[in-house]
Amino acid sequence: MGLRQTLSRKELSIGIIDIGMGNIGSVYNALYSQAWDPILVKCAEDFDELTHLIIPGVGSYAAAMKILGDWNLIDSIIDFAAEGKPTLGICLGMQLLSDVGFEGMEAKGLGLIEGETVPFEKIRGLSFPHIGWNEVLQERTHPILNGIKSGLDFYFVNGFFFNPVYSDTIIATTDYGQLFPSIIGKKNVVGVQFHPEKSQTSGLKIIDNFCLWDGKC
Amino acid sequence: MQKCKKCGLPETYETIEFNDDGLCNICIQNMFKAESIDWDKRKLTLDKLIEDNRGKYEYDCILPFSGGKDSTFTLYYLMKEYGLKPLVVQFNHGFMRPTLLKNNERTFKKLGVDVVSFTPNWNIVKKVMLEALVRKGDFCWHCHSGIFAYPMHIALKYNTPLVLWGEPSTEYTAYYDYRDDEIEVVDEQRFNRYINLGITAEDMRGMVEREPGDLDPRDFTPYTYPNIRELKKLKYQSLCLGSYIPWDAKSQSKLIMDKLGWEGDQVEGMPPKLYDYEKIECHMQGVRDYIKFLKRGYSRVTQMTVLDIRNGRMTKSEADKLIADYEGKKPPSLKIFLEYLGMDETEFNNIVKKTVVAPFEPDFSKDEWSPETWDFDKLYREKN
Amino acid sequence: MLKKRIIPIQLLLKGRLVKTKKFRDPRDVGNPVMSSKVYSSQDADELILLNVDRAADSVDVLVSTVKDIARECFVPFSVGGGINSLNDAKKLFAAGADKIIINSVTFSNPAAVTEIAEFAGSQAVVVGIDVKFIDNLYVVFSNNSKIAESVSLSEHIRTMIRLGAGEIFIQSIDRDGEMQGYDINLLKTVLSESSVPVIAAGGAGNFGHLDQALKAGVNAVACGSLFNFGDNNPLRAKAFLKNLGNPLKRIR
Repeated sequence: MGLRQTLSRKELSIGIIDIGMGNIGSVYNALYSQAWDPILVKCAEDFDELTHLIIPGVGSYAAAMKILGDWNLIDSIIDFAAEGKPTLGICLGMQLLSDVGFEGMEAKGLGLIEGETVPFEKIRGLSFPHIGWNEVLQERTHPILNGIKSGLDFYFVNGFFFNPVYSDTIIATTDYGQLFPSIIGKKNVVGVQFHPEKSQTSGLKIIDNFCLWDGKC
Repeated sequence: MQKCKKCGLPETYETIEFNDDGLCNICIQNMFKAESIDWDKRKLTLDKLIEDNRGKYEYDCILPFSGGKDSTFTLYYLMKEYGLKPLVVQFNHGFMRPTLLKNNERTFKKLGVDVVSFTPNWNIVKKVMLEALVRKGDFCWHCHSGIFAYPMHIALKYNTPLVLWGEPSTEYTAYYDYRDDEIEVVDEQRFNRYINLGITAEDMRGMVEREPGDLDPRDFTPYTYPNIRELKKLKYQSLCLGSYIPWDAKSQSKLIMDKLGWEGDQVEGMPPKLYDYEKIECHMQGVRDYIKFLKRGYSRVTQMTVLDIRNGRMTKSEADKLIADYEGKKPPSLKIFLEYLGMDETEFNNIVKKTVVAPFEPDFSKDEWSPETWDFDKLYREKN
Repeated sequence: MLKKRIIPIQLLLKGRLVKTKKFRDPRDVGNPVMSSKVYSSQDADELILLNVDRAADSVDVLVSTVKDIARECFVPFSVGGGINSLNDAKKLFAAGADKIIINSVTFSNPAAVTEIAEFAGSQAVVVGIDVKFIDNLYVVFSNNSKIAESVSLSEHIRTMIRLGAGEIFIQSIDRDGEMQGYDINLLKTVLSESSVPVIAAGGAGNFGHLDQALKAGVNAVACGSLFNFGDNNPLRAKAFLKNLGNPLKRIR
């Protein structure tokens, strides 16, 4: 598992799914500031030259899946991932990687990593949603964690979390009344529940690591 | 005031924390440095870093250089160990002393290197010295910012990604920590974290302008950290030699004295001959040390003896005697500094009073002066 | 474990940062984009940007500043001051703000709280409450401390949470800029009424004050004067607070 750069930086093309939900500006700015030139992806044609794909997201599972469906992006995303190309889901984007989400109404997800998106147990004394800085404890190594120590804090804003079917897809966990996966991964697909674009230097490092990853574990 | 049981640094020292045994984090960091870092592995990393850059760009590296013991050693080491082609970059803060200038000429001619030197607009320097003194109790803002920002502009101009500095900050403060076992990156983050006192060039311009827009923003470029995107495109790497070899200021000073004929100098307020390798570059060092003493209750004598204590070269009681005899006296250059800023000592005291670091309380009534240095008359006088 | 947050407050007046005392006499303290970058480098957990201008175009200037900050700062930030409608809020979210702080509009048009919470989620809605201690009572003020409101502090908090507020930002007008400490009694009162996180503001003069407020139970402490003058910065504050057992984030 390493950061083998099979393509030179100039040949890398990082796409960010933009369906007008929430502010993808921060993700875009984070990439831009690190000297990447990300492309906003809004239709199937935008996938043509992409080497990497980022699925950001803020808002509700069902609403997001509906727009992805309306804009005919679902198949493109699934095909892209099937080709072994590096794919990153951020926050809601990570949750959308699951088979199904239970936020309000039940909705079908992208199904790229087996599991479902469920609400937190409302534990007494804790306020929800889960907002703020919390520790990400690494269970396994992963190329996007290169140079990041286990236990560092990242910025979370989530009321739901990804509950995977297979425990070996859990890369890192976080504790908020209960342990939930903060990073999941299967082959070339990886998801982070926190906002790397809001987590200062360590967050920017994760984004950089992703852009330099060739999708292999 | 609480002080470290081992080295004596007081609680007013920047970033200091004491553990349950009363030992300070700087001492602990340094113990880790001595005992737990794999310096052989680090050296191999440096070897690779140098080879990865050799011959590929206009220069093998940018070498920010003040002419003090650390940068002179860094230049000497890299030339001797690797036979590099560096571009030496000097930022002239405006107060360079004659011995320093002689040292630099000798060093550059003996080693054979290309040198770029930059002197910023003196009128701007005077304005920002005053503002920085008032806001932060530290008039050296232009120097801190210029030294760390300007070489990055040169790296971009000369398309040279590797920038090599000298000592890592973790040697003296805890903004970074040897115990994190990581290579300290000298980047914008670090610049904003503490180098520029939390004031960027953009801020400073707004603060010293009388009317918005009456100062040329280009006058502040030397103090502005270049755009990170440009630096990342260059694939810049801004690192400290001291992250790859264990830093030892004292033996390194002896080495450059021996091999390059580097000469030390007397600094106002310091015990003669004892630390004449330290901070000899600047005419205003005495004023700087004096302000530190008023703000924090300790100064250069303490700092130097602390290093000796930490390295087992001096006892605490020997240090205490030196501190009692020399520390805290007014430097003659203070009079000239006040001329530059157009103020008298009372105004100066009032400004410094506002920046004192609790729990220390200074005694402004003490009126003891340290002796003039030999080059006191060489200082620039505005009335010329 | 969720960490406590240290939040520098930056006051904005026509594109520059200023500092006030008791909400009056602004004094220039720098460029908001640069200042935000500096705070972020010094481990600030979040930033709060408050617009003290009430000129007609002040929200647009705020939007433009937010865009500039979002381009260079990768830390959560909240914006407030003169936000009067869902439309204002939408512009600010689009510009890059993570949360908005609303105050006066919670009295003139409380439905806006719900509208904004439905649009962006309640975690993005921070209700700011300014109080003065008068005749043994905490009196709630609106419009930059100009109008005393008749609703009680407790009732106001409850209503706001019911309408969708995700956090309460409580500010003592009396203590603002005085650097004499937070009003701990006020904080305890608010904490007893609020089921959502509480951010304390107004009065911090030294790191000990921050510790007092955190130990009283607030989730976050916000400060302006403390970091603007003297040699203080979030890094030093955190070292001090960590030494006293407060849980704070680790990012390196």
